[in-house]
Amino acid sequence: MIKLLAKLLRVLNSETQPGQISLGFCFAMIIGLTPLLSLHNLLVLLLVFIFRVNLAAFFMGLALFTGIAYLLDPLFHQLGLAVLTALSLESLWTSLYQSVWWRLEHFNNSIVMGSLVFSIGLFVPTLLLLNLLIRRYRQHVLAWVHKTKIMQVFKASKLYETYQTLSAWRNV
Amino acid sequence: MGKWIRWWGLGVFVVVAAILGCVWIFFIDGWVKYLIEQAGTEAVGARVELDTADLTLFPAGLMLSRLQVTDPREPMTNAVEIANVTMGLNGLNLLRRKIIVEEMTVEDVRLGTPRAISGAIREVTLQEKESEMFSLDLPSLEVPDVKNILEQEDLETIRLIESLKADLKTEKDTWESRLKELPGKAQLTEYKQRVKNLKKAKKGGLKGILGGVGEVQSLKQDIEQEIQSLKGAKKEFEEKMAFLRTRLDQLKTAPKRDIQHLQAKYNMSPEGLANMSQALLGGQIGSWVREGAEWYERVKPFLEGAQALGSGETGPEVHKPLRGKGADVHFKEARPLPDFLIRKTKVSMSMGVGDLAGTILNITTDQPTLGQPTTFTFSGDQLKGVKSVALEGAFNHVVPADAKDQMTLQAKGYELSNLVLSQDKKWPVALSSGLGDVKMNVEVKGQALTAHGSGHLRNLHLAAGREGDTSPLTKAFSSAVTDISELSLQANVAGTLEQQDITLSSDLDRILKKAAGKMVNDLAAKFGAEIQSAIAAKIAKPMQDLKKNFSAFDGIAGDLTERVTQHDGILKSLLEKTLPTKSLKDLPGGFKLPF
Repeated sequence: MIKLLAKLLRVLNSETQPGQISLGFCFAMIIGLTPLLSLHNLLVLLLVFIFRVNLAAFFMGLALFTGIAYLLDPLFHQLGLAVLTALSLESLWTSLYQSVWWRLEHFNNSIVMGSLVFSIGLFVPTLLLLNLLIRRYRQHVLAWVHKTKIMQVFKASKLYETYQTLSAWRNV
Repeated sequence: MGKWIRWWGLGVFVVVAAILGCVWIFFIDGWVKYLIEQAGTEAVGARVELDTADLTLFPAGLMLSRLQVTDPREPMTNAVEIANVTMGLNGLNLLRRKIIVEEMTVEDVRLGTPRAISGAIREVTLQEKESEMFSLDLPSLEVPDVKNILEQEDLETIRLIESLKADLKTEKDTWESRLKELPGKAQLTEYKQRVKNLKKAKKGGLKGILGGVGEVQSLKQDIEQEIQSLKGAKKEFEEKMAFLRTRLDQLKTAPKRDIQHLQAKYNMSPEGLANMSQALLGGQIGSWVREGAEWYERVKPFLEGAQALGSGETGPEVHKPLRGKGADVHFKEARPLPDFLIRKTKVSMSMGVGDLAGTILNITTDQPTLGQPTTFTFSGDQLKGVKSVALEGAFNHVVPADAKDQMTLQAKGYELSNLVLSQDKKWPVALSSGLGDVKMNVEVKGQALTAHGSGHLRNLHLAAGREGDTSPLTKAFSSAVTDISELSLQANVAGTLEQQDITLSSDLDRILKKAAGKMVNDLAAKFGAEIQSAIAAKIAKPMQDLKKNFSAFDGIAGDLTERVTQHDGILKSLLEKTLPTKSLKDLPGGFKLPF
């Protein structure tokens, strides 16, 4: 837990661009919230590896969203069912239903559809919000935090020592 | 661009995907095996096991080795054991989550093979073998003690006598009190006095005559009313008596009914021989029918699978959601296919009698979508113990509301040996050897089951009876049965899958009736005569008492008749003698009386 927190701080405090961190987190949101063994997750994984997104942020986000996905299942089910049974979309789903790849994607499942719509819907807002928050954090909070007494104490603690060790390893 | 793209990531992705692919390939066979065992066990209600499952991707196919399906009623026996199942899968449809098999080969199917370990998944309650419970209801050849029977039995004749006796007493009491209420001697005396008074009035001249006319009119009406009342009571009495006498007449036939009832109860009736074939073979055939119905009930949910799951033909259909798994919404397909279909299955079966080969077409859980029924044909020639066997049928659930399943089985030259037909202690019967030609049609429509079977058995060698048997009846039966070399048999089953009514008939009934019918008839006649005289003796006194009770009503009848006669007499006397009709004729102007 300490190492995870240290990693988070390290990522936030590093020179990594905010966009890379938030993109990793948002990709993790899609894979974490939707059923893992889905065809679209293979595509997301490809994007995660090809784009220079922050992998630490991705894996942390994956752990977080996988954990809360199960709690959101009833919401996903309701949302997916509403989308799949919407009369205006019936012809679209019927045409996709004829396609092998879409059937393999299992789009006609309420939880797959619900969680996918939910995570894609939140993708851009989350990306922008995280970008903003990381920038604000670095501009205002980080400088202030460094000056606080708590941070002074923290810097003298074992946690900070671990953080420093990790930083040293990374620099090797 | 280079700032946002890391090309080595593509290599990592390929490696990760390759690892995932290898893991899938490594575990998929075990997963398929697990799925088949799991689904099979759930469907059968006993363990279904598979030695290996081998899924190949190029070309897509599946091979199963040693599939064992435990008999749920006998967990140490496999109902079916199949050595190899090979099928080619339609890869494209597999990606669409549809298992479409163009041709499947099922090799070396064996029935009833022993298991090394129990295949029960729940505790099996061992059913007592029906043959052990089976007992023939043979006619008795010992005349029971008639005296004891009459002491124990509640005879209908005695019950009717008691009832009639009680009713007679009630009626007698009723009529005695009615007689007191009806016009009797007192009223008659009063009327006589009134008539006398009218005579006196006649002597008072014309004024007396005219005053008496009204009185005569009134008296006449009173007497007529009394006569009416008496005649009504008499009619009612006669009807009651007629009813009571009818009951007495019915009572005369009651002893005959008692005799018939006792003959049947103490098995002294030759009717017991009427359907011995049902008694001998009914249990075994009933057991086969019930076993067949049980297996059919297990297969039925798969035949009706589409009704339960929904075909998706009429628009989006939602399946029941499962927690964490969601619900699948199905849409209309351009070329609809069932989720599971095996178009052609070639089966080779290794039976005790030899090898049977067959073909099953269109095995599917969704016949309405496919639009074709599941059909099957099996046949075998020159087998060990049977000349030829042919089985064909169809499970037609294309229109679920009008589902109809039918099967025809034909076996020629079937060698019968060492079949126990009766394990009855009094009269065991076994078929040592014989040949049989059997034809059977079975039809199931909804829950209604009908079956008709006919068989011709020949070259029969039957053994019957036990050593030291002293019963003349069973000895006669044994002698008749051992002489039988040929039999024809008809069986009809009607009812539902849960409750069947089996009727059997054969030459055996006629043969046995002929062999022992006279013996049983003579004994029944002897028993009947004894019981008749005993009943006659028992009811003699009660019947005498009854007759006496009836004679008590003669007095009431006579009394009623006498009263009517006397009242008629007084009315007549009033009309003929009391009125001065002669004097009135002499009156001027032809005066007429108003009555």
